[in-house]
Amino acid sequence: MAARVAVDRALCLGSGMCLVYAPGTFEHDDQAKAVVREPAGDPADVVETAVEACPTGALSLLPEQDGA
Amino acid sequence: MTETQVLDRERIRTLFDLRSSYNARAGGDFTADPYPAWRRLRESGPVHEGTVHELTGYPGTALFQGLPEPDRPHYSAFSHAALDQAYRNPEVFASSPEAVDTTTVSGVTNSMLSMGGDQHRRYRALVQPSFVPAKARWWITNWIEETVHSLIDGFAGEGRAELNVDFCAAIPVLTITGGFGIPVGQALDMREALNRPMEIVEMLRPVVAARREAPQDDLISVLVEAELKDEDGTTHRLSDAEIYSFALLLLFAGSGTTWKQMGITLTALLQRPELLAQIKDDRSKLRPAIEEALRWMPTDPMFSRFVTRDVELEGTRLPEGSVLHLCLGAANRDPARWDRPDEYDITRPMRASFAFGGGPHICLGMHVARAEISTGIGALLDRLPNLRLDPDAEPPRYIGMYERGVTEIPVVFG
Ligand code: HEM
Ligand code: SF4
Repeated sequence: MAARVAVDRALCLGSGMCLVYAPGTFEHDDQAKAVVREPAGDPADVVETAVEACPTGALSLLPEQDGA
Repeated sequence: MTETQVLDRERIRTLFDLRSSYNARAGGDFTADPYPAWRRLRESGPVHEGTVHELTGYPGTALFQGLPEPDRPHYSAFSHAALDQAYRNPEVFASSPEAVDTTTVSGVTNSMLSMGGDQHRRYRALVQPSFVPAKARWWITNWIEETVHSLIDGFAGEGRAELNVDFCAAIPVLTITGGFGIPVGQALDMREALNRPMEIVEMLRPVVAARREAPQDDLISVLVEAELKDEDGTTHRLSDAEIYSFALLLLFAGSGTTWKQMGITLTALLQRPELLAQIKDDRSKLRPAIEEALRWMPTDPMFSRFVTRDVELEGTRLPEGSVLHLCLGAANRDPARWDRPDEYDITRPMRASFAFGGGPHICLGMHVARAEISTGIGALLDRLPNLRLDPDAEPPRYIGMYERGVTEIPVVFG
């Protein structure tokens, strides 16, 4: 089951913590802002670890929409 | 001159002498294990009155960020939850007591390390793209690999080496100065002048001028070309003074830290030969080994924040104007977050520790530091068969109060 996650670009400072913990999900754009490359790139618990690791609270888990 | 000639072992030994490098000012003569004291402190309350070194039982004066500040009340936090709250609230727990004025002299206190809010965000955004994980390759192939291999060339034929000074010490400085676009010979001069920042500025001056004329693929070029958006929306190029502050911060924040953390990681592995053998055979285990060493024994176990208004933290009232010392060494072993926290166990589920700090000032160089440590240890494992601690020499010990690391790491191989 893939967790859905949103990036608040105003809060993201580009630390790369989310890329360390969930490298299958996140990448940086050329301004070093995190973007979700592959929503199903990591198991849900791994994405949660990345969300918790974000130093500025820029990541949030979104509720599942279609029960996938 | 080839790099091997420049990286003369005697010069490196003088420059990175362990006795002078364990800066006595930061409590370099502290040789006890602080972790039992930190556990007792954390168990008796998340926040205590006093500084970390006093509460740990270190008798001398030790200096670091947020010290000595004799006119302010001092508090120290030891639990993961207390640190998490403080890091995530930078308005109340600020990195410096007053606003940073970048137009005055260059120096680390005038760098983004001390800035807050929007000013910090704008300055950090200028360099963050050069320090993202995707840039690790750029750092590795341009500078890290060459340094690592020429250092190993210096002792590979001898069957023995001292890895802390002869290997770990020079890699971080040469990585950062390489990133600046400074040749190796001059890089060691820069290291020699580390405590005389104005001399470093003089060495940087011609490089900055040259890059303003003709930018290259290096960090100084990134800084001269960067456009800073001011609060009113106008953009300006960084002044020379601002570029020097950036460069000094990177040199100070990135040299001793990565050196000592690499030594800590190597020592943890050499003391566990079976684990080291496993990692040699399965390199995917090197990454968790590095991460676990960061949690278990971070080289900088304390950073500080200035309390900007009366606030309560985990039940303790902190008055405006006080200094809060965040003992991340203690928080990294909080049993509320980690099972068997005192054990060095590379099979733990990966989750963030505070080794690189937290909040908006979280370490800018963390991905470069990881690249240096993994390239360095990986190359030792590739090139030195049967690498082990020298059984006839004094084994390495973990020392230091606010800049922790190991004594000499004598090894034999082959
Ligand atoms: C293993 C090695 C390293 C460790 C353990 C480490 C640790 C830290 C910590 C704990 C902080 C936060 C300070 C605070 O909260 O006030 C920090 C900040 C910083 N570090 Fe590192 N660091 C390491 C390597 C590096 C390297 C290699 C560089 C640069 C090339 C670097 C550059 C910086 C900078 C510029 C900051 C300030 C960031 C800001 O204020 O936004 N560090 N580091
Ligand atoms: S961890 Fe947070 S601040 Fe860092 S890159 Fe990811 S979203 Fe941005």
